[in-house]
Amino acid sequence: MESAIKTIVTTFLKSAGGKDNLSPKAFQKLVQKQFSGVMEDTDSSAAIMEMQKGLDENSDGKVSFQEYLTLIGYVANTMSQKHCEPKEAAS
Amino acid sequence: MYLYFVSQSKPAPATMPSELETAMESLITVFHRYASKDGKGTLNRRELRELMENELSTFLKSQKDPAAVDKIMKDLDANGDGQVDFEEFVSLVVGLSIACEQCYQLHMKKQTKK
Repeated sequence: MESAIKTIVTTFLKSAGGKDNLSPKAFQKLVQKQFSGVMEDTDSSAAIMEMQKGLDENSDGKVSFQEYLTLIGYVANTMSQKHCEPKEAAS
Repeated sequence: MYLYFVSQSKPAPATMPSELETAMESLITVFHRYASKDGKGTLNRRELRELMENELSTFLKSQKDPAAVDKIMKDLDANGDGQVDFEEFVSLVVGLSIACEQCYQLHMKKQTKK
C-alpha cells in the first residue's frame, strides 16, 4: 500500500517536471498514459480538456497536486464500486 | 463534468494496466481485504488499526497509540457511523499522499543544494 501511494505521488511529480502544477499538455499526457484502461475518450483532447476544467477548482487553468488527487479519489471510488458489484449480485 | 468519462461498461483492457491503475487497484484490494474481515464491507476500528499496522508501518508510527487510532478513525469517519467506507478511506490515502509529496519535495531540494 505504501508503494501504491508512492506511485501516485511520483507519477504526478514526474509529469509536472519539477513544477508545482500540471500544464494542460502535461495533464493530457498523464491521462492518456495512465488512465486509458479505465476511462473512455482518452484519445480525445477535447474530452480531457473538459475533465481538466471539471477538476480545476481554483480555475487557474492548471492541475495542482490536490486537484490531481481529486481525480485519483474519484477514479478509485468508481473502480471500487465495480469491484463490489459482482459480489453483491452473487450473494 | 468529468464524470462522463469513466467507463461504466467497458470490458477489461487488453493492454497492460498502467502504473497508476495498478496502484489504485492495489489500494482497493488492500481496503477490501481488511474491510471484509467482519463480513461488512467497511473498516471498523479494529480493522483500521490492523490495516495501519500491516500496510503503513513505515509511513505511520501512531498505530501503536490507541488514542491516535481513535483520532484518525474519527477524522476519517465523515458520516459518523463508526465505520470507514472506501470513500472515507480515500481521504487517508489523499492525506498520506500530500505528506509524502512534501517529503519528496524537501528531499529533492536537499539533493539539488548538494
